[in-house]
Amino acid sequence: MNYAMALEYQNCINCKACEVACKEENGVQLGADKQRIWIGVVEGTIFGKPFANLYPSQCNHCIDAPCVSVCPTNASHFAQGGIVKVDAHKCILCKGCMEACPYDARFVDDTMVAVDKCTFCDHRSLVEGGTTACQATCPTKVRTFGDLDDENSDIVKLLKTKRFFFQKEYTGTLPKLFYILPDDEAYAKQSVSHNTIIHTWEDIKPMYDEARTRRSKEWRR
Amino acid sequence: MKVEISRRRFLQGSVALSIASGTALSSSTILASSKEKPQVALMKKVPTICEMCVNKCAAIAHVHNGVVTKLDPNPYFPKSRNMLCARGAAGIHALYDPDRLKYPLIRTGERGDGKYRRATWEEANEYIKDKLVKILEEEKDNRSCIGYCAGEGLAEHTFKTFMSDKFGSSNFLNHSTICLQTAVSGYTLTIGGYGQADLENAKYVIMAGANRAEAILTPDTMDMFKRTRGRGMKLVVVDPRFTNTAMHADTYVPIRPGTDLAFVLALTYVAIIDQVYNRSYVAKNFVDFDKYKKHIIESEYTPEWAEKITGVPAATICKIAHDFMAAAPQAVYYQGRRTTWSKNDFQLRRAMALFTALGGGIDVKGGIVFGKKLPLGEHTTTAPMYANAKPRIDKNLAAVVGATGTWVGWRNMVEEGKSPYPIRGMFVYKQNPMLSVPNSAKTRTMFEKMDLVVVIDTMPSDTAMLADVILPECTYLEREDPVQSFAGIEPSIAVREKVIEPMYESKPVNEIMRGLAQKLSKPLWEITKKYDEDVQEELEDSDEAEFYEENGFDLAEPFMHDQEETNKHMFVEKYGEEAWGVLREKGVFYPNMLTYFKKVNNNTYEYYPKDKKFYSVLKLEEEYDPVAFLHDICVNPVDVADLKRSFNTPNKKVECFLGSMAAKGVDPMPVWRDEEYVNVPVGKFKFITGRHAQFTQNATQNNIMLLELMRENYLWINDKEAEALNIGFGDTVEVTSSIGQVRIKAYPTPKIVPQSVFYIHGFGAKSEGLTFAHRNGASDNEIIEDTIEPVHGCANMHETLVSIRRV
Repeated sequence: MNYAMALEYQNCINCKACEVACKEENGVQLGADKQRIWIGVVEGTIFGKPFANLYPSQCNHCIDAPCVSVCPTNASHFAQGGIVKVDAHKCILCKGCMEACPYDARFVDDTMVAVDKCTFCDHRSLVEGGTTACQATCPTKVRTFGDLDDENSDIVKLLKTKRFFFQKEYTGTLPKLFYILPDDEAYAKQSVSHNTIIHTWEDIKPMYDEARTRRSKEWRR
Repeated sequence: MKVEISRRRFLQGSVALSIASGTALSSSTILASSKEKPQVALMKKVPTICEMCVNKCAAIAHVHNGVVTKLDPNPYFPKSRNMLCARGAAGIHALYDPDRLKYPLIRTGERGDGKYRRATWEEANEYIKDKLVKILEEEKDNRSCIGYCAGEGLAEHTFKTFMSDKFGSSNFLNHSTICLQTAVSGYTLTIGGYGQADLENAKYVIMAGANRAEAILTPDTMDMFKRTRGRGMKLVVVDPRFTNTAMHADTYVPIRPGTDLAFVLALTYVAIIDQVYNRSYVAKNFVDFDKYKKHIIESEYTPEWAEKITGVPAATICKIAHDFMAAAPQAVYYQGRRTTWSKNDFQLRRAMALFTALGGGIDVKGGIVFGKKLPLGEHTTTAPMYANAKPRIDKNLAAVVGATGTWVGWRNMVEEGKSPYPIRGMFVYKQNPMLSVPNSAKTRTMFEKMDLVVVIDTMPSDTAMLADVILPECTYLEREDPVQSFAGIEPSIAVREKVIEPMYESKPVNEIMRGLAQKLSKPLWEITKKYDEDVQEELEDSDEAEFYEENGFDLAEPFMHDQEETNKHMFVEKYGEEAWGVLREKGVFYPNMLTYFKKVNNNTYEYYPKDKKFYSVLKLEEEYDPVAFLHDICVNPVDVADLKRSFNTPNKKVECFLGSMAAKGVDPMPVWRDEEYVNVPVGKFKFITGRHAQFTQNATQNNIMLLELMRENYLWINDKEAEALNIGFGDTVEVTSSIGQVRIKAYPTPKIVPQSVFYIHGFGAKSEGLTFAHRNGASDNEIIEDTIEPVHGCANMHETLVSIRRV
């Protein structure tokens, strides 16, 4: 099992259903800076005409997660299927993981007195036919959660037919949020930068498989 | 030794009770049973229907120890396509809102100061009865002297049954005239129905003013945004604001507010002059097309003419008209679900419908379709006749004032003392006219003039603060509501089941009406006997008790049955006991659901097989098998559109010329009138309002989870104009119109056209009972002028001029 999420970010309408469903499902502490999931908004004007792109985001559950490497107490760890989690009772709030995370996916939950983050809803998504709260609730079905090891999973089936990219791939953490690039070339160009590396399943699979084999020794069962 | 029950133990006890026995809570029963062990599992899942907005999405409530812990989408419902938006997911916080109305309240202070005392239901009903008896005695049984209004919802009809059918008042108001009445009526009179745009198959869609990304509508929102951005649907968004919908557009067309009609007329002009419309379809299905064609050409509604009015380049108009017709009949000028914008709104909607019809995109896959509605059994009641009940007061304010009145016109008549007979009181159910009807100051004065104001609601809204009696309704998660059939391409029936017992002393509206009706029946009957000559005459040769019974004067009769019992009766009559079991278990039912319904993957569900969907419903005159025809992909869709159809209009055709309206002084064909357009003088701005995806009007304003997403509203102002006025982001500005003034923070942005300012509706509550919503931002209706359009008396929401000043 190697859990990941594909995002058809082109579908996103910034309605924030995912954010609310996440907070309700997981009892996330209220507060504007307390988010396990969020929508990145890039907007501006080109020759006076407004444009906007939305990048729904959350923890990337990186295969080489720097937040796990820096944790002095092993509070940050890989759980089953490579899901990055925090043991609240081991967390000493040094916030090293928050510094290490390239995606700013972590925050302090004052009620637990620990760092909190996305868990891919592992309490509900790992059962047969289960999925995360954000995927289930999304009106336009941006997300596909699934197992990269399973050739027949929804996510692998999708990734095999699409091109995709990662956010901040250059940090080398092997993130597992796959942003599905639009098939339409004009729209594809509009939402990525010149430096964005475009991948296909064939080209990415060996690298991810290798990394998974290397790091999965640390995964808890 | 004194025994104390901790709060924790109290909750445990109450959980056991509410699930195991289902009885209402009282302290004595909790004490008695707190020693017993709960006997049933404390986890359950209950199908329900969301009420956070008007869409009615199906949800599954997770209940843990009697507490609702999560609302998940219910995949079985075709209309909501397995989703719950931010509001739907935050429904738990409507249920557990600490500010909820918990028990009946009777006013002790002045209207609006928020001073109330807790009362029992008996006291509250008694209070209402005493006032009503006095009023009706003075008004000699004119039942219409009590007005009533209701917000949209599954239980709206229950309230209406009481006020209209039983109590007998003709003065009903609802959302229609501050909502989409002109749109519904414009489409219905032109093509026979408002219909549903088939956004799963449409290839070209013009969305003008409609904002499906931020004003979520099911299934349109879910269908279209999987197909925008080069994925099958070309989208043109016409809007003064660059909305989240515009972000998905292939072409975004900024337009001056109030000029949409000129835009549509120019599109029509291009289609006609360039002969790109579907001529054989028009020949077969239009009536009076020659008149319309002549009118459009002779009026010279050219793209160049429209450019001057709308600000949209003529070339853009030409291109859109050609592209639209090239994609037709899978091309839709989207109907929208919008409030009335300006005086020409009815004509605008007619012109939109006619333009879509010119391409043949009506009653065809990928166009505007009418779908099917599954029948339900009936639940009947006898409405008593009151000889002295007068007709509604506002029927002459517009050409056609329907049964839902004209909110602004009616309010103004009462407020200005122009009503032909006194309106002495008002019953308000689940509506908040203080925030939702233009000119809040007038609404307030109207309520202050009344002798009896009763508000039934879940929250202490601004309107509730003007009531004499407040009756606490339970939220949608605490009640069963009338079962409902949802029409569409994929029709179904869904039911809102009770998830937990009503909290505090709140009750469902069915029970509220029952209690009140039982209290009122006899005393009001005495008044009727005293003043109603028809009744007196009838009573001369009939037995009073029998007459009272047979003629429906027992006002409580329709409310005596438990809602679940009534639902079962209405449903089983048509579909049988077994189907009832399916409906209760799944929350949704349609014939063959268990065989048709398929899960493709976690994101995709199939509700009906492709060839069983209801794209076309109207009888076609040519003989062929419509099902086979419409679903055969080898058939050219244009040929399908061409077929002669039977529209649900008087002539059974698309109506270009409405002679009946001409008789009422309404233009029989869409006409642009320069004199009706509100020009924006230098230094002023046109104020426009709108919605977004995190709040529903003002109904969810106190929801703490949603306030996380947006704390207050901001004034959108064009960035260049803001710079000239030295207004920066977050600066407080004063917005002044002819009727009011508000202060709000500014959001300078290039996303709005010049000379227009905007802020979202639903903020700026003043009720101190709303801890979280209190004075967040500003309310639009404090500044929107109270003018109405001439056809249905709908409020013109976009004709107010304002000035802006930094403070």
